[in-house]
Amino acid sequence: MTIAPAPELLVPTDASTSVTVLSDRCAGCQECVVRCPTEALTIDSSRWVVVADESLCVGCRQCVRTCPFSAITVEGPSLVTERTAVRTVEPERLEGDDSETRRGFTTWEDALAEASRCLSCPDPTCVRGCPTHNDIPSFIRALSARDLDEAHRVLRRTTVLPDVCSRVCDQAVQCEGSCTWSLAGGAPVAIGALERFITEHAPVPPPARAEEPAGLDVAVVGSGPAGIAAAWELAEAGARVVVYEKADRPGGLLDWGIPDFTLPSAVADRPWAQLQAAGVELRCEHEVTSEDIEGLLGTNDAVVLAYGAGMPVTPRVPGVELEGVEDASRFLDRAHRALLAGTVLPELDASAEGVRAGGAVVLVLGAGNTAMDVARSVRRFGGQAICIDWMDPRFAPVRPDELDEARSEGVDVRFNSTLLRLEGDGVRVRSAVLARTRQESAARRPEVLESETSVVEVDRVVLAMGYRIDPSVAPGLPAVPFVKTVEEYPDRRWIGSGILANPAPTFARSLPVGRLALARESARTNAAFARGDRLWIAGDALVGPSTVVEAMAQGRRAARSILAHRPSRARSGDGAGPRPVEPKRVVVVVDSLGGKTRSAGEAISRVLEGTGASVSVLRIQEATAPVLADADLVVLGTWTEGLVVANVGPSRAVRAFLDALPPLHGMRAAVFCTYGFSPKGTTAIMRNALEAHGAEVVAEAAFGARDLARRAEEFGEQVKSRLWSGSASRTSGGVRAVAR
Amino acid sequence: MTTLADAEQAVREPDEPARTGGSSDPVVTAVRLRPPERRGMHARFDSTDPNPGWDVARHPKVARLLRNRRFQFMLILPNQIVFWAVILLGLAGTVVPGLNFGTAITWYLWFCLVFVMMVVVGRAWCAMCPFGGFGEWVQRQAFWKRTQKALGLGLKLPEPVARYGFLMSVVSFLVLTWIEETFNIAGPGAPHATSWMVVGIVSSALVFFLAFERRTFCRYVCPLSALIGTVGAMGSVAGFRTRDREVCLSCETKDCMRGSSSGYGCPWYTWPGSADSNLACGLCSECYKSCPSDNIGLFLQKPMTSVVAPTRRRFDIAWAVAVLWGLVVFQQVNATNVYASADSWLNRNLHMRYPDPLDYVGIIAAVALVMGGIAWLVQRALGRRDLEFATPGRNYLDRTSRFRAFFVPLMYGLIPVVGADYFARQLPKFFSHVPRLVPAVGAWFGAGSTHSPLYSYHLLETTGIVVAQVAVIGLGTLGAVFASWRIAGRDLASISTRPGVARVTAVGLALACGVVAGVLYIAMHAAP
Repeated sequence: MTIAPAPELLVPTDASTSVTVLSDRCAGCQECVVRCPTEALTIDSSRWVVVADESLCVGCRQCVRTCPFSAITVEGPSLVTERTAVRTVEPERLEGDDSETRRGFTTWEDALAEASRCLSCPDPTCVRGCPTHNDIPSFIRALSARDLDEAHRVLRRTTVLPDVCSRVCDQAVQCEGSCTWSLAGGAPVAIGALERFITEHAPVPPPARAEEPAGLDVAVVGSGPAGIAAAWELAEAGARVVVYEKADRPGGLLDWGIPDFTLPSAVADRPWAQLQAAGVELRCEHEVTSEDIEGLLGTNDAVVLAYGAGMPVTPRVPGVELEGVEDASRFLDRAHRALLAGTVLPELDASAEGVRAGGAVVLVLGAGNTAMDVARSVRRFGGQAICIDWMDPRFAPVRPDELDEARSEGVDVRFNSTLLRLEGDGVRVRSAVLARTRQESAARRPEVLESETSVVEVDRVVLAMGYRIDPSVAPGLPAVPFVKTVEEYPDRRWIGSGILANPAPTFARSLPVGRLALARESARTNAAFARGDRLWIAGDALVGPSTVVEAMAQGRRAARSILAHRPSRARSGDGAGPRPVEPKRVVVVVDSLGGKTRSAGEAISRVLEGTGASVSVLRIQEATAPVLADADLVVLGTWTEGLVVANVGPSRAVRAFLDALPPLHGMRAAVFCTYGFSPKGTTAIMRNALEAHGAEVVAEAAFGARDLARRAEEFGEQVKSRLWSGSASRTSGGVRAVAR
Repeated sequence: MTTLADAEQAVREPDEPARTGGSSDPVVTAVRLRPPERRGMHARFDSTDPNPGWDVARHPKVARLLRNRRFQFMLILPNQIVFWAVILLGLAGTVVPGLNFGTAITWYLWFCLVFVMMVVVGRAWCAMCPFGGFGEWVQRQAFWKRTQKALGLGLKLPEPVARYGFLMSVVSFLVLTWIEETFNIAGPGAPHATSWMVVGIVSSALVFFLAFERRTFCRYVCPLSALIGTVGAMGSVAGFRTRDREVCLSCETKDCMRGSSSGYGCPWYTWPGSADSNLACGLCSECYKSCPSDNIGLFLQKPMTSVVAPTRRRFDIAWAVAVLWGLVVFQQVNATNVYASADSWLNRNLHMRYPDPLDYVGIIAAVALVMGGIAWLVQRALGRRDLEFATPGRNYLDRTSRFRAFFVPLMYGLIPVVGADYFARQLPKFFSHVPRLVPAVGAWFGAGSTHSPLYSYHLLETTGIVVAQVAVIGLGTLGAVFASWRIAGRDLASISTRPGVARVTAVGLALACGVVAGVLYIAMHAAP
């Protein structure tokens, strides 16, 4: 374990903080001590109570957030220097200008000053807040040491798009919103700008191709962020990767969805240039339909579906079918090509015939990221843009910085306003009837005030209300779209880090950054599970419209799952072909009431440990999705619940576990139960549930009280003989094992 | 059993260790927690750690019981039924105190049983208490299930109050006792008075459970909390403790404090990893249920271990002992003729009624201050002047001084005699009247009456009761002598100029207290 050194901070010296440890409640658990970034806390060994050295305290309050018993309070200011300002550029002449508006640090002095604000927290909440979990303190430390190669090495562990993400991520609700300074009510470290500084001062290294081919053929459908990440990981591991893209250029959303003034083409094109140079085969203008997927599975060992969520959401209002109404993706694509080519969009240009003086009026439905991109693009083609959103500005999900930029560029953004109907001359749209709305809280749906209407003359309407997954591409996949969720009992290590502590930081628009991060994590974990035989899905195609960084993280996770499980088309289907790869990671999951089931699980694990695989025995509550995602073999054991002969079956906890299982295609499993009187169909229930989720159950057994350990060991031998080559198969003796 | 952390380390991807530091989870890779401090751990805990062989949770049947979420509910339920019956029958039943089930069970049996439980087990009553149990059910919105949504404000008790530890509980015990003396509730007087008292306790518990998180009421406010905490230290149940402190220190989740899907975080603000006595273990078994490493056991210990063994003694507990001693002495004194005359004289002149608050507070304070004064004199006479007492903290519990260094061990040594004194106080009602419970139950169904032979039957007559009381005090004094000798040997010897004299002084104080209590019981002549 690397222990974080206490950072040397540039802090004001004329202020101080006061730390109070309530010794009555301080249990000496040291949750604060092990996390304090400045080593201001230690344990008084005589009383076993935490004591604080206030001269070292900088007021980050991580101790307050992490104390399980609320035994510590910190008063006084946060002793941190002011955040170094990052420039934003307003073009002098907007029309035809596609230069980036947001800039990073331009000097080393600025970057180093900002890097010095990082506390290098031992339990960095920013890492949890980052959807792909970049090791932010480490890359900032490398930057501080002026070692950009090391910074890239750190970034490469978790991201393949640092240059893109540092430009397009909404850091305020991700890494920066989770920065300990932000959680303490202060200004966070400018993590995005520092990441960008690294990529601007040292190019992102290309994929490091493995020397030996992996013997793995993978097809990736879609070339957006998820596809890029999957292809990158697989290519680096030596897999042969073919990427199918229906457009004529790769990049997906990076190409058509984000204008150059936010993400320059040179940056957006970089990943594909490097991937193709590394040998990834790209097949553009190659649309994959549901009928093609079977064929891809026949010629590849695995398929990753990363085709995004490209179906625009269309409002059900009269007039939406009129000419002059188009969806945002089509508009942005046209705008992107026109700006690249240095041409204009004639329907917007004031100098063009038939266009009103001052430029065409474009009504943009929506006020999210895409709507802002559309409206700002309209302004760059000489048009007038009006964005409407029916939400109250207090609750709208718009990024404040993006809203400010759009307004400063002349975009008319109207909240509490919705479209009732579009009116036209029978062919083209001419006006829009808008109505006011009222929204009293974020949880409540806005109320439309149809009596308060207004009419706006418009020349064009762009639908930017969002997208959804095209269900026709891969119909019938289990748990798709995946709904991001926060578990009722989230990982206590996340709680322990303090990221879930209230109140939500104002810097992050008072959004609960911890819960948002946990929800994102649920999707990242879920991308690891195969949705069918050798079929993975990631990115917007899995969860619906999301962010670049989330899609990338999911693409990486799916690829790593493929590399871990090594699927093969040769052994798929009816069992013919080579023997499956021997399990390397075994998880024995038990629900034990009096200890018998646990003893049996431990006896089985001892046998399986003899194969060289890593074996863990976990309680059922600990068998979470991340644990299952990494396992090759799950041995599930339960005590038998029921009234002697009535309602006999797996325990309630095991039944709940089986109900909540993620897709387990490709997973091997074995099930057992312990019983007092009769197991009846307990193992059959477990087997059926596992198989319904796609797992292959290789053995099952029920153990009575007599000779439990010996029988469990024999069951372990049986599992071993089925899945590991060279393991002698023994007779099962008294074990009620069912060979399957 | 392998922990979750072990599992996550174990499932690292084989082609990844160099890249991600060995784990497939990038968060795990980025977390670089400092190692927890272990210096002084053995010196701090070795004397209080229970014998590993005395872990009853190793027994599969006990383990099964403790893991069952209905376990505590089943303990609370009978008491809940009894105390709602006490409320109802006190209000609606017979007005004859001795025949009313509410008053009979409360004052003839319950209080006595609580003392037996605390002396033998510790906080056994807390595990089954219907008052806290009711508040907890409402707060959790569940009888036994683990729920996430707590009802109420979930506040933390403010630090300026919480810093005084158990003293708030001592104050509420004094207030409750004054109310009880004033209205002659425990006499027992009118049954409805007992009902209203129970309603008052339940209501205030409910208010606290709705306003504050966890068992703030039980830990800080409950009138019995300090009494059970101190006297319960004699008990032979150490409570839920860690089996292996290393596992607790390196635990990444601290589920026993934060709660998990299997159990709540400790409602009593106790971490089994550092518990050194049974003072604040409510025996609720939530930590046992939620521990992800099966590293918590339910340990037995030798009697008085939690009095003698702890290396960290609390100033609030020392004052709690002194004040509780003052209260029980007051209760003994007020049964004497001398007190009756003095109280009447005061009441006449101050226009108050029994017990006059002046003599109530005055006697308690005087006794407590005498204890403090004795400690002050001992430290003046025997304390080493060459020692500096560093002040590790600013607040009440953290400060150190020469006075504290003597006062705290001396008071801990008196716990057995104080506990015995409270127990002995309950004996007259028990031995004289507990048979009345039978006709009281009968009266519930219209069968019992004051003419029942059991109504007038005494298990012991006056002389027998006095003998029993003196015997109990004798046992308590023996315990106090033992405890004082051991405690003084460890805690006072090193800070005294004459260690032997310090030990003898501590033992002398314990003996003196025992003699005072014994003499008073003889003088009381088994007055209830």
